[in-house]
Amino acid sequence: MRLFEFEAKKLFAQKKIPVTQGILASSPEDAAAAVRELGGEGVLKVQILSGGRGKAGGIKKAESPDEAYKIAEELFAAKIKDYEVKQILVDPLLDIAKEYYLGVTIDRANYKIVFIASPSGGVDIEEVARTSPEKIYKEKFDIDEKMYGFEAFGIGKKLGFTGDKLKASVPIILGLYNAFKAYDCKLAEINPLIETTDGKLWAADARISVDDDALFRHKELGEMGIEKRHEEGEMTEREKQAREWGIPYLDLEGDIGMFPGGAGFGIMGNDFIHYFGGKPANFMDSGGGPSPERLARMLILLDENPNVKAIFGARFGGISRCDDFAKGVIQFLREHGLSKPMVVRMTGNMWQEGVRLFEEAKEETPEVFEKIEIHGIETPIEEISKRAVELAKEAE
Amino acid sequence: MAILVDKDSRILVQGITGSAGQFHTKRMIDYGTQIVGGTSPGKGGQEVEGVPVFDTVDECIDATEADTSVIFLPAPFVKEAAIEAIWAGIKFVVVIPEHIPIFDMMEIRQEAKKYGTTVLGGNTAGIITPGEANLGIMPDIAFKPGRVGTVSRSGSLTYYVADTLTRSDYGETTCVGLGGDPVLGSTFDEILKMFDDDPKTRAVVMCGEIGGVYEERAAPVIKKLKTPVVVMIGGVFAPAGKRMGHAGAIVEGSMGTARSKLRILEEAGAYPAKTFSEIPQILKGLNV
Repeated sequence: MRLFEFEAKKLFAQKKIPVTQGILASSPEDAAAAVRELGGEGVLKVQILSGGRGKAGGIKKAESPDEAYKIAEELFAAKIKDYEVKQILVDPLLDIAKEYYLGVTIDRANYKIVFIASPSGGVDIEEVARTSPEKIYKEKFDIDEKMYGFEAFGIGKKLGFTGDKLKASVPIILGLYNAFKAYDCKLAEINPLIETTDGKLWAADARISVDDDALFRHKELGEMGIEKRHEEGEMTEREKQAREWGIPYLDLEGDIGMFPGGAGFGIMGNDFIHYFGGKPANFMDSGGGPSPERLARMLILLDENPNVKAIFGARFGGISRCDDFAKGVIQFLREHGLSKPMVVRMTGNMWQEGVRLFEEAKEETPEVFEKIEIHGIETPIEEISKRAVELAKEAE
Repeated sequence: MAILVDKDSRILVQGITGSAGQFHTKRMIDYGTQIVGGTSPGKGGQEVEGVPVFDTVDECIDATEADTSVIFLPAPFVKEAAIEAIWAGIKFVVVIPEHIPIFDMMEIRQEAKKYGTTVLGGNTAGIITPGEANLGIMPDIAFKPGRVGTVSRSGSLTYYVADTLTRSDYGETTCVGLGGDPVLGSTFDEILKMFDDDPKTRAVVMCGEIGGVYEERAAPVIKKLKTPVVVMIGGVFAPAGKRMGHAGAIVEGSMGTARSKLRILEEAGAYPAKTFSEIPQILKGLNV
């Protein structure tokens, strides 16, 4: 879970990192007042859960309250990187002498915590790593290791700090490492760390991503008003609905509704559709042994999506059984109906029984099953993918 | 032969008295898996499916000589359970639950390395050596003893691949689920080396997906293997920046795309398959 800049700064401040204490604005009036309070100038920074705000036009300098009002009005009306702007942080303007980078993350491949420092801050650090790798300094730590003061001192020296600035850098480096560990972070970053012309150091931006799976032991975040949130851009209405129902779901750009099993095959099944010349309208993960209610909800998401022209269904009966799957789908078709053609394959546990139930149901109420094609183990999943692509083309 | 688990493995279920623990203990026993004991702190002395329950892993090992553990506990309790098992001398731990904090998994991995223990998961469907032992939540129906190993981050892909191998008469030696979480107890390269040392495994099918760097890390190992590796990577057409179901399955920046994984593994000598039906064709071409 990614935090907003102003939230991350609160956490950094608790670890004694000097952060620029800006003022949060939720209207152009607020922004103008904030700039007035900061002495007539300031930096307006949109609070969105994405990096690269500067490039996307989300960070702007204002040299008067009036200008701040105008800029804020524009920013609140705009979408920055697909995010609506609800809050703007107004930070004091600093006299910048130099910008540095500090970050802590996890090296998943080597199972280490990595502290990254660079004297080339204020820009995209991945770009620096590509173009001038000699300007990136890395220190690795085991998961149970603390960082000692002398180690932080060493990192400060690598950044080129001397004298008072070196001394001032040590608590910032330690504070960042300690914040990373204290809050179960996936990433904690100060970019840029600003050295001002009067020789002071400031964390001018702050980024923290907390491990969602560790939130259960960080009640303090909730107490600070930091709520669990969706972090990958604005959700579509359907994605919001699916999330409410607890179904992993993404809208995509194509026209084939995907009604697969688990996440792994969900990802692969989308590729299959592409290989056979089609485009999926969504990603979805049924989870293991979906209940009739969950199956119904999955199908409603697809049926009510106007982009969906045909539905691809696949069930691998594992511990859950294909006959239970069939019963759930049949119940949905009879109660709700399905406006799109659907091709479904069942294999694994009790697949013959699943196919038989569909055939019986079709004899009883043929009108409900007119556009439903049922297959068993003898039809490879690749053929089902092809058929779904054909059905979508026919429906055009 | 097989890797990691076979009919002689003496298995302990941590969290055996919970609903998932009980349900899957019965399934595993029905398959013929040698479940010798279980743990549930405070419930020592009880029995589940005829299996004795102990308060601690130490007690369980003393009484049953357990050497392998499978964990069915809520995520917040997994770190303690896994490290208890590792310290007690268990050599192979399978972590079934998902949503284990990253720091916890890193700590588990660190202890496992110290003690020479292999950990699988979290968020894995488990591991099966067909006809001998089934540890976790995999359905038996897709599997048949044979000569190809599989290693995958996804349960559902393991079933489809095994089903393909079973129906094309190759069968499987062992099928390993690494798990769908972002930080895992074991990685592709480690499991591939084990398969390479198993004389019965004639080829390995490796299924990866977008996100992370575990697939890439397998490349230098694949170069050195005697055993051919067929590789499938899911998410060639996945949109960047969107998480697809598995917590680990997200393309961040230019890292971890399916195309880059495929290219690196192909260069290392792996045989790429786009669909399941291509797998037996490739194996046939390799005279497996």
